[in-house]
Amino acid sequence: MASVTQKMTINLWARVFNITRVRHYRASVIALNSRGYSVLPPPRDAEEKAVLDKMLRVDHAGEFGANRIYAGQMAVLGRTHLGPLIQQMWDQEKIHLRKFDEILAENRVRPTALLPLWNVAGFLLGASTALLGKEGAMACTVAVEESISEHYNSQIRALMEADPERYKDLLQLIKEFRDDEIEHHDTGLEHDAESVPGYWLLKSAIQFGCKAAIYASERI
Amino acid sequence: MSCVACAVCVACAVCVACAVCVACAVCDVDGRYISEHVRIADLFRTVVADMAAVLRGLQAVRVLRGFCRGELVGVSVHKYRSAHRGVHSCGLLYSENSTSVSSSVHQHPQAQAPEQDPSSMTSEQVGPQPNTSYANQNGEQSEDYETEDQLQARILNAALEFVLQHGWSAEAIAAGAETLGLSSASSEMFPNGAGDLVLHFVVKCNNQLVQILAEQHKRVQLGEAEPKKTAEFLREAVETRLRMLVPYIDTWPQAMSILLLPHNIPESLKHLSTLVDDIWYYAGDRSTDMNWYTRRATLTGLYNTTELVMLQDTSVDFQDTWAFLDNRIRDIVNMANTAKQVQSTGEAVVQGLVGAAVTLKNLTGINQKR
Repeated sequence: MASVTQKMTINLWARVFNITRVRHYRASVIALNSRGYSVLPPPRDAEEKAVLDKMLRVDHAGEFGANRIYAGQMAVLGRTHLGPLIQQMWDQEKIHLRKFDEILAENRVRPTALLPLWNVAGFLLGASTALLGKEGAMACTVAVEESISEHYNSQIRALMEADPERYKDLLQLIKEFRDDEIEHHDTGLEHDAESVPGYWLLKSAIQFGCKAAIYASERI
Repeated sequence: MSCVACAVCVACAVCVACAVCVACAVCDVDGRYISEHVRIADLFRTVVADMAAVLRGLQAVRVLRGFCRGELVGVSVHKYRSAHRGVHSCGLLYSENSTSVSSSVHQHPQAQAPEQDPSSMTSEQVGPQPNTSYANQNGEQSEDYETEDQLQARILNAALEFVLQHGWSAEAIAAGAETLGLSSASSEMFPNGAGDLVLHFVVKCNNQLVQILAEQHKRVQLGEAEPKKTAEFLREAVETRLRMLVPYIDTWPQAMSILLLPHNIPESLKHLSTLVDDIWYYAGDRSTDMNWYTRRATLTGLYNTTELVMLQDTSVDFQDTWAFLDNRIRDIVNMANTAKQVQSTGEAVVQGLVGAAVTLKNLTGINQKR
């Protein structure tokens, strides 16, 4: 392509409508155990499969949404001094999404039908909060990452209550991802998230939206 | 004559004969005990035989009801045996006390035979090698224990032979049950009747298809076979699955209408969606975005329309149907290619527009740094 401006505008266009971005990631396997490929135990019966399916579906939707939020933030703030930081957090989310794609494909889990909705809504959320300034973007990050880590914690609790030995690998994976999300949350706080005007209102609204998204993705 | 209350009479409920004081060894009133001995022996024998027959019938009903409720067969047999022990002891006591040897010989086998019959009858009902003895009913399943589901599957499999005669109906199930040696009332085990038969057949065919696809998949992974292209794979999978309908093609419209009944729709849709999911999985689809939904929707449409075409196809070996299938698959492939082309054209157009905008900005001098 001729110029950097063109490239960036086309990337923006592509990102807005997610034309070229979402292909299925058949990238390298992230080996978390000696076997290197399987994180879930084969389900004993249809009930267990349904429960695990729900969990994985909502986790996949969550990572997908987080991806799109960071994409929206990068679209607005990519050229500011926060660009590299947001890009780094985005790359970590991409790794999470890739891992969940693999798990869904391997275990034949149905992805949520609301993915196009989260695609657009996530991008819009990221872009609109970034338009409030750097602090707005950080506040959005803090709110979303807090929701996600709370959600992962409740999943960890549920798996621990059920059978920690059986779900050892899955627990390890979710714990690792939760730690990453908490790190993002802390990064957001460090970068003056709380100084945005209407912080509590913004945070509560975003967290309510996240809870609704989690509820919907589990079922649809 | 006075009827001494004999212990035996308490055990066997039917012992009306006790009123005429027959089984009572102690009773020796008026010498009529001996003189009427022979006649009353006959009476007692027929009474015992009738009672055995009645009890056998009762036991059959109890067993069938037990099946319906999923009870262990052995439990009802046990109840029967305890009741029957009374009859047997009646006969034994009588045979002990009687002086006519022939009647006692008669009595024994008579009393024994009813005892043998129920076990052989339950053996016919439950399966080739049933283990319904009380000793084994400790909750663990022995190898020859058959569950209710297995029994129902066997009956429905047998019923499939009679579909050409009776159509997809409860009569076919009854006929199938009879070939297994069960009574035709076994069709009452299936409250949904024809629906159960059709759904069983659908599940059976789907499982067969999945087995075939898994076999092929394994061979490809071992390197013994070449992986097929998606379009060809789909075509062969759909054709294989539809060919399983060929023996029943004349009655299949009736079966489809049964599947469309409101109470059958959820289950038939579930089977259709698992079929389509399985076919795509073995075709290599590992998508986790909207493609998951669009691919399955197109394959569902493809399968349903081809099935409908097959119903009214009169060509040799359904050649017209397979030609229709080929054409539809080609359409789908064309659509996918067209979609990709539209996308790349759109991108090119966007590039062009952006280039034009930048040129304009340059021409009007907006881009210059001041």
